[in-house]
Amino acid sequence: MAKKSVWSDNRFWQRSAGWITGFAAMLLIWLTFDTIPQIMMGSDSDIQNGVTKRVPSPTVINYKITYEMDTKRGHEIPVIGGANAEGTSSFQEKELFFGRDDWSEEEAAELLNLGKLGSQAKNCMNCHTLLGNGAYYAPDLTKSWLDPAWGPEGSMQAMTGKDTKEEAMAEFLINPSQYPTHARMMPNLGITAAEAKGLVAFLKHMSSIDTNGFPRNFGKIKGAVHGK
Amino acid sequence: MFFEPFTDVVPSFFGWLNQGPMTLTLFLHTVIVLPMFWIYKQEKARLEQEEGQ
Repeated sequence: MAKKSVWSDNRFWQRSAGWITGFAAMLLIWLTFDTIPQIMMGSDSDIQNGVTKRVPSPTVINYKITYEMDTKRGHEIPVIGGANAEGTSSFQEKELFFGRDDWSEEEAAELLNLGKLGSQAKNCMNCHTLLGNGAYYAPDLTKSWLDPAWGPEGSMQAMTGKDTKEEAMAEFLINPSQYPTHARMMPNLGITAAEAKGLVAFLKHMSSIDTNGFPRNFGKIKGAVHGK
Repeated sequence: MFFEPFTDVVPSFFGWLNQGPMTLTLFLHTVIVLPMFWIYKQEKARLEQEEGQ
C-alpha cells in the first residue's frame, strides 16, 4: 500500500483550521475589550487636569483646536488649547464658540448630541465621510473644522460673509445651495439654525479626536499644517 | 522602516502589533505556522503508527 501523505490527510487540515479559527476568535474578542477604554469619551475634569484622551469631552468646543505634526508618530495630531513643550495638548488657550467659551459639560453634550442626531437625520454620510464611515462624493468631514478654507483667511468664510469659523459653517449648512462651492453642490437639506449650531459643535468635537492621522491626505490641503 | 518605536497614545498589545508593516505579519505567521508544524508532526506520527499496524 502507498504511503499516506500528511498533506492529503483530513485531520491535519481540520486541526490547522480549528487552531487558526479559534486563535483568531480569541484575538478579536481581546481586541474588542482592548478597544473599549481607548474609545471612551473623556470628561471635563480630564481636560482640566491636562489628560489627553483619544476622544475628549464635549467641552473641547471651548478650546482652540489646531492640527500639528507629531514627528515621533509620523502624522498630525489634534492639539487642544495650544501645545505644551512636548508638542501635545496643553488645554490652556480657549476660543469663543458662538460667542461663549464657558459651555458646561451638560450644555456642550446636549449641543453635540443635537448635532449627531442631526447628522444622522440629514444623512450626511450619504455623501460625506465621518471618522471613516460614509462616502467620498463630498469632502471628508472628519477634520473639516481644521480646514483652513473655513478659517479667517479662508475662501469659505469669506464667501458666507461671517466673522467666525463657526458662524460661517452654520450659515453654509442652513443655506448650502446658495453658495457655489464644488462641482457637486450641496443641496438644501432644511437644516435649522439650532441644528446647524449643533452640527458645527459636532464637527468641532470630531476634529479633536485623535484618529492616528486619518484622513491620511488631509495635511495635503493647501494651507493646512505640514502638508506631506 | 520595518520596525518603528512604539508611539501610540496608550500602550497596548494591538498598538504594538501595528507599529510597522512587518510586526503583524511576523506575529501572525509565528502563531499560525508554528503550531501547524507541530500538528503536522503529530499527524505524521499517527499515520506512520497506523500503517505499521
